[in-house]
Amino acid sequence: MSLLEVREISLSFGGVRAISDVTFDVEAGELFAVIGPNGAGKTSIFNCLNGVYEPRGSIKLEGLELTGLPPSKIASLGIARTFQNLALFSNLDVISNLMLGRHHLMKTGFIAGALWVGRAKREEIVHRRRCEEIVELLELTPYRRQPIGTLPYGIQKRIELGRALAMDPKVLLLDEPVAGMNLEETEGMARYILDIRDELGVAMVLVEHDMHFVMDLADRLLVLEFGQVIAVGTPEQIANDPNVIRAYLGEAS
Amino acid sequence: MATDDTALRLLPTRFSRVSIGLVVAVGVLVPFVVSGDFWMTVLVSAGIFAMGAVGLNVLTGFTGQVSLGHAFFLGCGAYTAAYLGAARGWPLPLWLLAAGVIGGVIGGIVGPFALRLKGNYLVVVTLGLVFIGIHIFENWDRVTGGTNGTSTSQAELSLGFTDFRSFSIPGKDFSELQGLYYLVWILAGLFVLVSANIVRSRPGRALQAVRDRDVAAEVVGISLPRYKIGAFVISSSMAAMAGAMLGVQQQFVGPTSWNIFLSIQYVAIIIVGGVGMVSGAVLGALFLGPLPEIVEKYSDKLPFLYEVKGEGGIVSIAAFNEMLFGALLIVFLLFEPRGLAALWLRAKARFRTARSTP
Ligand SMILES: Nc1ncnc2c1ncn2[C@@H]1O[C@H](COP(=O)(O)OP(=O)(O)O)[C@@H](O)[C@H]1O
Ligand SMILES: [Mg+2]
Repeated sequence: MSLLEVREISLSFGGVRAISDVTFDVEAGELFAVIGPNGAGKTSIFNCLNGVYEPRGSIKLEGLELTGLPPSKIASLGIARTFQNLALFSNLDVISNLMLGRHHLMKTGFIAGALWVGRAKREEIVHRRRCEEIVELLELTPYRRQPIGTLPYGIQKRIELGRALAMDPKVLLLDEPVAGMNLEETEGMARYILDIRDELGVAMVLVEHDMHFVMDLADRLLVLEFGQVIAVGTPEQIANDPNVIRAYLGEAS
Repeated sequence: MATDDTALRLLPTRFSRVSIGLVVAVGVLVPFVVSGDFWMTVLVSAGIFAMGAVGLNVLTGFTGQVSLGHAFFLGCGAYTAAYLGAARGWPLPLWLLAAGVIGGVIGGIVGPFALRLKGNYLVVVTLGLVFIGIHIFENWDRVTGGTNGTSTSQAELSLGFTDFRSFSIPGKDFSELQGLYYLVWILAGLFVLVSANIVRSRPGRALQAVRDRDVAAEVVGISLPRYKIGAFVISSSMAAMAGAMLGVQQQFVGPTSWNIFLSIQYVAIIIVGGVGMVSGAVLGALFLGPLPEIVEKYSDKLPFLYEVKGEGGIVSIAAFNEMLFGALLIVFLLFEPRGLAALWLRAKARFRTARSTP
């Protein structure tokens, strides 16, 4: 059994077919990339994986069916994600954003929080410590007290990655983590992604439209076009796949 | 990491601890200086408004759900004080808690329906609650006394050995109003503490996440209905307890007091005070809460106001108050949307830089 099993999922918006019969597996610890041009349906796949949309077909995490569950439940089962166009809590500081990633791991409810005795405070301390570790891993220390709305885009992208990591996920979904970044920021992000894989061993699904970025990084890739899978395989297999060369690389060369 | 613990404190800096200490000290000393009934009444009103506004701030300021239903929950609390406190003679802690529980339960019943809606729809539905409330208050004679209203003057106001209606310390006897002043501000202080604690812990962060970005909130595992309803229950419960104290202060509860203007007044208080800042609700309550009473008191000094039509003047006191609130709302929304609390923060920052520059 693979960690994540996606079987023949399909999704339509009105008449528009965003995804058709997409099937793939993600193994534990694997860095799996989904590539394809804009509008291919990459973000839609993420929205299905974490329950924002409900597709036809089946999605299983460690054998447990996810389709039909609300996003908040799927999050607590171990799927974390970042968004193509940032979705941070912009009035809160870095630590609070990361602490929100740990929401599903904590227990303090309204009454315990209101009283702020015993467990509420202890829990806060324990989870803050973990967030501080992530802040260090992602080199966010200089920004930790600032409301994040004012921080540069590249930093915000990293904070969002931190929030997803703070969730202690089994699978981490990254939607175009380097979109809109300059070369230096892109390299930085690649390094953080590799660090996360090496140090934490979290399985990652990485969506990108820039093929070169993922070819060096991913263990395996899935190429998507018009909502359909045209190839799945290792970077070498993909680079030599006739369908991919025709549909994707062909236009560039 | 040494910073860890200070970050968890409610008042992390010495400056904030000293400020709060001063505010509390001044608050305790006020009745020793102010004895006139009018200004004491004003301060009691402000304390009651602070209780209710801290509650509304949890819902609107921290969770981003605008409600015009606050007056309804205040009314529920006021009638609870009359029915259980005055008519049945329940002791203070019990009728006050009962008001909070009744407000919270009604909020918990209405919330799931109201909070499915967003923005303007939510405003309209919560407004509907106010009309339904007035209808119920006018017609449920057995409990509310119908259009004649009901009295709260018999409500028990003692806690342990302290009867807030008349208590004394060596060398000083306090009037009933002064006792009420201490009671409502102690309660307001507790509400501030409770909401500040919620805000800095897991549930409060979840509320703010719902406010800032509801899709992202769900994606990190926050159940939107749970937290929206939770905020609504807290807000309604605090409103009902504020209403119970208002009922007691007015000695009489009638059906028409729980109208839209009261709801709007609360929204104005938290906007002018500073949305989403606990201290904002208190500042707003101090400045705006008693404004209508002050305008009425000084209306004979303002020649353009009339109390009864035909006695000269251009606008009635009531209309002028509504316009004043409208104007303040607009001015703050345009020029200082973060309210008086933001002005205070800015002044504090300036004070700091002034002190740190040699
Ligand atoms: N909420 C939506 N409503 C209607 N159409 C949508 C929606 N989201 C995506 N689509 C459509 O689905 C297709 C796939 O979009 P998307 O998954 O965002 O692609 P990608 O992330 O690969 O750029 C596009 O044709 C897009 O217009
Ligand atoms: Mg996309």
